[in-house]
Amino acid sequence: MDAVLSVESVVTRFGAQAVHDGVSFAVGRGEVVALIGASGTGKSVLLKELIGLIRPTAGTVRLFGEDVWASPPEVLNALRRRFGVLFQDGALFSSLSVAENVAVPFREHTRLPAELVAPLVGLKLALVGLAAETGTKRPAELSGGMRKRVALARALALEPELLFLDEPTAGLDPVGARAFDELVRVLSEGLGLTVFMVTHDLDLLFGIVDRVIVLANGRVIADGPIEEVMAHDDPWIQDYFQSRKEAPDGA
Amino acid sequence: MAASIDHTEEDGVSVLYLAGSWRLGAVPDIAAALARLRLEGRRHCVLDGSRLGELDTAASFTLLRHLAAAGLARAAIAARGFQPRHERLLELVRSRMDTVSAAPRAPRPGLLARIGRATASIGALLRTHTGFVGLVTLEAIALLRRPRLFRLRETVAQFEAAGLNAIPIVALLTFLIGVVFTYILGMQAQRYGAQIFVVDGVGLAVCRELAPLLAAVIVAGRSGAAFTAQIGSMKVQEEIDAIRTLGLSPIHVLVIPRLLALMAALPLLVFVGSVAGIAGGMLVAAWQLDIPAAVFIDRLHATLPLSALVIGLAKAPVFAAFVAIIACRMGLLVARDARSVGDNTTSTVVQSICWMIVIDAAFAVALQQMGI
Repeated sequence: MDAVLSVESVVTRFGAQAVHDGVSFAVGRGEVVALIGASGTGKSVLLKELIGLIRPTAGTVRLFGEDVWASPPEVLNALRRRFGVLFQDGALFSSLSVAENVAVPFREHTRLPAELVAPLVGLKLALVGLAAETGTKRPAELSGGMRKRVALARALALEPELLFLDEPTAGLDPVGARAFDELVRVLSEGLGLTVFMVTHDLDLLFGIVDRVIVLANGRVIADGPIEEVMAHDDPWIQDYFQSRKEAPDGA
Repeated sequence: MAASIDHTEEDGVSVLYLAGSWRLGAVPDIAAALARLRLEGRRHCVLDGSRLGELDTAASFTLLRHLAAAGLARAAIAARGFQPRHERLLELVRSRMDTVSAAPRAPRPGLLARIGRATASIGALLRTHTGFVGLVTLEAIALLRRPRLFRLRETVAQFEAAGLNAIPIVALLTFLIGVVFTYILGMQAQRYGAQIFVVDGVGLAVCRELAPLLAAVIVAGRSGAAFTAQIGSMKVQEEIDAIRTLGLSPIHVLVIPRLLALMAALPLLVFVGSVAGIAGGMLVAAWQLDIPAAVFIDRLHATLPLSALVIGLAKAPVFAAFVAIIACRMGLLVARDARSVGDNTTSTVVQSICWMIVIDAAFAVALQQMGI
């Protein structure tokens, strides 16, 4: 398998508190993978270790075959151009307009002239389902769901091969959330995009995810297609999928 | 492999062969290649993707936008030979591109318009400041009726931060100003052999003007900026809304404790500043003007009117009230973005210092008229 992302025996400790105790998994090109786990199991910390923001205590994280934490800064920055991140609250730059936010990656990492960038920014906004007028607004004027769409447009700006999503549908209404699923699926198929997400949205897990990884007690306790994971006898996993089993044709 | 495009005629139909790696980095080349195509007057064209290596949304969009601009509508373009994923991508871009229009840029207003707008907004700000003073007064009266709601702990904490913690910096700066002032005054007085009158001048200037103004400027920079930034960040995090929803008044919880703490702290700082400034003067007088400390203090006793110190101390609560009201109001006016916190904090310091100079001048004129 052509692994875009691989995690090998990652250990994380904050002082005496052990968060990860040997986490390993790999994600292949074009896969859509979701990481789930109870609150406080270190999902967000793991995500930050993958994108080079928090250094794990031990273990290796590889993106596109490069060891993230052993790479010199230039290599790490080149890697960063190949993936996009959608943060949970969007993390838009509040002093820039929506269009300027989406234009930041173009301005910083490409030499495209301004007259080519403006329509591309418009396209990215259209791709995530926002009207062109949104571009002139400030992030503070947008609803939570719209902020998330703008953040996705920014994450997609440089046509990344790998997309990290942190709770992508949290804060969206169900209709908006399903439109978001559809968008991620179309993009992942069309662009051969690999998607790694942290989510609790069961519809997302059933709808577009190829594989689910379950984190508990600092380790991966289940890793496989949703049906396989659901059949796992861990009590937390059983509780987690309980609602869905009771109403199999819901949502 | 670079992106390229070949235009051929097959059975009277234009066929565009897309080849190579059509990715974001190649968009300028693609745009240039498209501009060289002669498609005017064509009513149909076929896109052939059989030689295409890679395709992304930016490149697809550049192509489709150019074709649309050349008058080839969606129905007039046929696609063939694309890999399924490229075809899906092309379809996605095609379905979304109708809503794309370059966002209209707001025209930049002229210099005169900007000056006018800035003036009008300053006027509006000052007008609404008055309203805010009224609101705080009403809330303070409401607090007098229900003293249980007064937040003593918060007030004491603010007094410590704004008053006690500022003592070292106020003492140091007024001491240095006392040194400099005495030195300059002494140089002039020595020419006329009038050294002893330097004591009169230093005592009066430090107690009545220098210590109050300097302490107030330091407080505006330290505590005024802190108040605006604290309250502004709370606004950004929706904490102010949370306070309201809990049935509390942000004026009671945030503004009144800060206002009272600052009004109590600034007279203390002015007193400390007066003592430190005179001490600085005494040092220079002994060293440069040969006036021993005992003579300096004796002369000060004889000539410094108590009214000078009282006037200096009396100005302090007025300065403090202006700083606290402006700082809290600017904090509450913060919009939900990071820049606005910075803008309003700057504005607090500038407004506070301007107001202090204006009030100080008003005090000077009024006291002169009253003959004090």
